[in-house]
Amino acid sequence: MIGNRKGLSRDGGFTFIEVTLTIVIVSIMVLGLTIILLAFREHLDRSWSVRVMDQYGNDVIERLTHELRNAVDVSIRSGIGNTHEINISYLEPNYLDRTYLIRWRADLRNCQITVNNDAVDPAFPPRKLSKGESFEILQFTLSKYGEITPDIEEHIDASLRNEMFLNATYDIRFKLRYNRDTLSPGQNDWSFEKSYSNRVYLRNMNLPIRRQLEAD
Amino acid sequence: MKIWRKKWQGDKGSVDLIQLVVGLMIISIAAVGTLKALYWGYEQLDFQMRHRKAISIARSHVEYLQGRLHSDFDETRFQDAALKAGNITNPLIKLLDERDPSIDYDNIYCEVSHYGLEPINDPQTKGTDFWKIRVYVRWDEPGTNSAVPLNKVFFEARMVPSGS
Repeated sequence: MIGNRKGLSRDGGFTFIEVTLTIVIVSIMVLGLTIILLAFREHLDRSWSVRVMDQYGNDVIERLTHELRNAVDVSIRSGIGNTHEINISYLEPNYLDRTYLIRWRADLRNCQITVNNDAVDPAFPPRKLSKGESFEILQFTLSKYGEITPDIEEHIDASLRNEMFLNATYDIRFKLRYNRDTLSPGQNDWSFEKSYSNRVYLRNMNLPIRRQLEAD
Repeated sequence: MKIWRKKWQGDKGSVDLIQLVVGLMIISIAAVGTLKALYWGYEQLDFQMRHRKAISIARSHVEYLQGRLHSDFDETRFQDAALKAGNITNPLIKLLDERDPSIDYDNIYCEVSHYGLEPINDPQTKGTDFWKIRVYVRWDEPGTNSAVPLNKVFFEARMVPSGS
């Protein structure tokens, strides 16, 4: 017993220098790692949200493109803000001389695109957004080729095209914004806007089936 | 001096400096490795997204060409002769990925071009049966530095001429 106590008090532990050195090194490492991890988490949170936005933007564009490709007619009305209400006519498969309508519009309050008032993707925007996070629809438009375009060459090209082409070629434009408002003082709010677009040629507009519908 | 060295090297039941340094190095390497793997995974997801966007851009260009062939194309017109010849040597430049300026550096652009439009004629029918369309979208991923863009999407489509 005495021998054992002697062993403990005499040696076998850390020296003061070792302990101090260890505490200093570990503190620096923990501090550095915490800063890196916090910055990395912020980066992951932002890029995850941008990715969710990307997924939604591409899904909406792809689905609308697909539906327009099979349409026999389309009509566009102005909606709230920079959005359009898009009414797409399809041929009734069982009665080839009749059509039915599908209505696409932007629900700005819930930040959703709806088809006949049903959300295209009910999982967007994500339910569990943290405080200060939000998504916004900035643009949802369907316009004839060259009408709304950032590309001046497309605009010039559109002026050279004939009516048949212009009446059947449409550009879909969809713009979303992700906001990340800061809750702690001294930090800046952050937001990121992204545009999605696609072009579709409504081939049925210039096919005999369409002319037959007009005649009926 | 001998006593001091003995103190560092000869302790029993405690961690010496070498063990501490090696331990910290292992932890650091593991942490850096984990973060790198996560970052690489995210970069791969971004790449997949760009690939999907490139397909969408190619599809848009195909739609434009199909529309032109179907409703607004006359081989005798000069501008349509240029369209028929293709623009492989003079591609259109389009925005592929609009990136977050606070994290990434530059937006990524792509080249959109098509080969010459090829009329397909069945000898048993009169005139052009359909046109063959081949569209290329090429872009450079961040970090690559090649003269020719390495990433490509190729799309092939057909379109009947107007009046068919």
